Amino acid sequence: MIKKVVSSVLISTLLAASLAACGSSNENASNSNAATPTNQSHDANEPAAAPDPLGKYEQPVTVTEVIGYRPPEDAGTPKGITPEQNAYLKDLKEAMNIEIKYLWAVPSEQFEQKFSLALATGDLPDVMQVDTKTFEKLKKQDMLADMTDAYNNYATPELKEWIESDGGFTLKTVTSEGKILGIPSFEDPYMSTQLIWIRKDWLKNLNLEAPKTIDELEKVAEAFVNNDPDKNGKDDTYGIAMQKALIGWGFDARGLFNGFGSAPKSWLKGADGKLAAGEIQPEAKEALAKLQSWYQKGIIDQEFALKDETKMSEDITAGKVGITYGEWWVPNWPLNLNMDKDPNAEWEAYQIPGLNGPGKSLVGKLRLNSITVVNKKFEHPEAAVKMINFYNLMLNKENFEKNKAEDGYVYNWFQPRIYQPNLFDVIYDEVNKAIAANQDEIPVTDSSYRGINDVFLATKAFLAGDTSTRSKGTNWGLYASRAAENGGWGLTRKIRESGQVFFNEFYGLPTPTQLDKGSQLDKLIDETYIKIIMGDSLSEFDKFVSSWKKLGGDDITNEVNEWYEKEAVK
Amino acid sequence: MSDKLAHLRRRNSNIPLHLMLLPGVLVTLIYAYGPILGVVMAFQKYEPALGFLKSEWVGWENFEYVFNLPDFNQVLWNTVLIASLKIVFSLMVPLLLALLLNEVTKNWFKRIIQTSIFLPFFLSWAVLGGVILELFSLNGPINSLVSSLGLEPTMFMGNNSWFRAIIIGSDVWKGMGYNMIIFLAAITGINASLYEAAEVDGAGRWKQMVHITLPGMMPIIILIGTLSLGGILNAGFDQILIMYNPIVYEGADVIDTFTYRLGLFSQQFAPATAVGLFKSGISLALVSLSYYLAYKFSNYRIF
Repeated sequence: MIKKVVSSVLISTLLAASLAACGSSNENASNSNAATPTNQSHDANEPAAAPDPLGKYEQPVTVTEVIGYRPPEDAGTPKGITPEQNAYLKDLKEAMNIEIKYLWAVPSEQFEQKFSLALATGDLPDVMQVDTKTFEKLKKQDMLADMTDAYNNYATPELKEWIESDGGFTLKTVTSEGKILGIPSFEDPYMSTQLIWIRKDWLKNLNLEAPKTIDELEKVAEAFVNNDPDKNGKDDTYGIAMQKALIGWGFDARGLFNGFGSAPKSWLKGADGKLAAGEIQPEAKEALAKLQSWYQKGIIDQEFALKDETKMSEDITAGKVGITYGEWWVPNWPLNLNMDKDPNAEWEAYQIPGLNGPGKSLVGKLRLNSITVVNKKFEHPEAAVKMINFYNLMLNKENFEKNKAEDGYVYNWFQPRIYQPNLFDVIYDEVNKAIAANQDEIPVTDSSYRGINDVFLATKAFLAGDTSTRSKGTNWGLYASRAAENGGWGLTRKIRESGQVFFNEFYGLPTPTQLDKGSQLDKLIDETYIKIIMGDSLSEFDKFVSSWKKLGGDDITNEVNEWYEKEAVK
Repeated sequence: MSDKLAHLRRRNSNIPLHLMLLPGVLVTLIYAYGPILGVVMAFQKYEPALGFLKSEWVGWENFEYVFNLPDFNQVLWNTVLIASLKIVFSLMVPLLLALLLNEVTKNWFKRIIQTSIFLPFFLSWAVLGGVILELFSLNGPINSLVSSLGLEPTMFMGNNSWFRAIIIGSDVWKGMGYNMIIFLAAITGINASLYEAAEVDGAGRWKQMVHITLPGMMPIIILIGTLSLGGILNAGFDQILIMYNPIVYEGADVIDTFTYRLGLFSQQFAPATAVGLFKSGISLALVSLSYYLAYKFSNYRIF
């Protein structure tokens, strides 16, 4: 009897174990599975005539892609639509005889992991938009097709103008041994200018001035903690938004560090003309000391180290916090949600506070969003360029008005997409011109139409108090981020003009030691910084500096300086 | 003669049954054993473009690289500590529960308890992790209970000892139903006449438990213990990944989360594979050892 029980138990346990084993080997299995469809039958003939950037292939060309997708941005998009059903794909097939096949499609948060695995097995699609790190890997492994001819012959004059708008600076970074290995998509580096966003209605309630220095900021923030800025009679507010990624992408501490003239995880030019890592400079220590005192005073959330950007955006929306560092886009999310929730809420952008008066923000030398590359095995590198041309065509007035989200056009799923580098300046100028002249329509019809028109309509509606198509917050978000004189982009333009910035001098691809030790060093930085803020002794910073150097930081510094001497365009 | 014929006939009639096994065996070979070939990556300077066949052979270099990473000892210690506590409690708690439930005579009550204990087993950490984070947050229910008792609220998830305790406790709580069912099954398998005899001899419930139930369950307890020893380096990847944060790296970064960051974020596939292989090696050694010990001390063999 016992034996019987034992054996049945054994069987069930083994079953469970083998199920678990399946779980862990699945990743491998699905990859080896997917290995088959890489080499599609590219049965198309080369077009015989002169290259036509917008022409149609005679024989269908199949292009494989992979996609990490977010939900469609437009609420009117049909429910349950999948990337394969995106109406742009159908139009692309009609216009150019290019068929897109997705090898796989996953929600965007799983993309990085899935793509890493695909990279490990060498099982890559024909056309992909990658970041610089992946670009460097693929380049080293000689997996990229030469796109020189494709770019020269097939890029439209408009696309060439965009790509070369910075004097060919960015194009040079993706060129190797005279071969263009990818089509870069970049934007104005000043887009990463840090601003500080403050609840203006709270300032008014407490009779306070907007802060210009860090000390003044501290006073305002303390008042926001203690003096009931929202006048609801409850002690339910704190000063400054902050979350566990101190050097992250939003509601983080970059602006504060910049105010101290410091910039962790960036490379700054020292007095000796060499580049030095921002995270080990004495200015970073001063900023951490300030953050530590703010943590003690309750200016930042006691549990900031457990919260991420999403969680922090919820606090902003709920009206728990009145100050956040951030870039031009913050009005678009989540300040707009707060405006919709609380009709009294008013947010205003200011230059970040510094030690004595407004501080300088860090900006990059280059803002390279993605690089469109083609798999070496793929026979039609020009198809990638043609697809870019196709998408830009879809942005002009005629197509934009025809292609409604309701009919299944989901623009943020289409790849590859290249940004117009100066689009934000064009939007700002055109919208303000049209508003000043009290026009009902913008005169532009080319591929910047879509971007401009969106902001134009929102601005007009916001200024007229019209909420019939979109909520007040949504209208304001578009207006305040892109068109308002003292809004996100407006203020960024002023800072760009006045040169109130300092530079992250390193824009190269990750160095070998960075690839090797980068994740260890990042862990060390995050852990040390957060612990100091939460009360560890400041002397931990000095220990951190010496271990950072030992663990590969010195090697990285040498490699970065070598790059700076040899390759940087100064 | 007729005996042999019958034997043959029986064997023939079994052939279709054996054939039915074939798909299962094939699937196992392809999906469970096939990928094992990938471990050669651990000894190579693996380049995806070259694949395993052409990548350069570097011997133990990847292992040396990983073992010399500054955090490795801390991570290994965390893993062993968290996993061994999990193993001990995942054995003791369900055993206790099974013994207690066995004493319950009302069947409906027993069923309700059994089901509600088993329920969390089916929830994923993605769901439970969020719930636990909320439960233990500064404004969460646990802390309001703590402050209503007049104590200072604690940031549980930001404290290395508390974090470990919560990781271990929640894992035991989530999984205890599974082992409990197995133990209950073992109890049912004990010959009822033994209890009758004991009652005749005047043994009470306690004596019956100590002298009949526990010895009767011993093979199962040893079996479960032996099998779980193989998991000494599995501290629970998804659970920790969902719940940890930079403050508790020191106490909660385990081999799996470490490998995850190494392999997927830094894309160092070969060292990550080396860590995986190292883990499997340790597990194999421990399972063999405990199997030997179980045989030696209680004369019990699984295979």
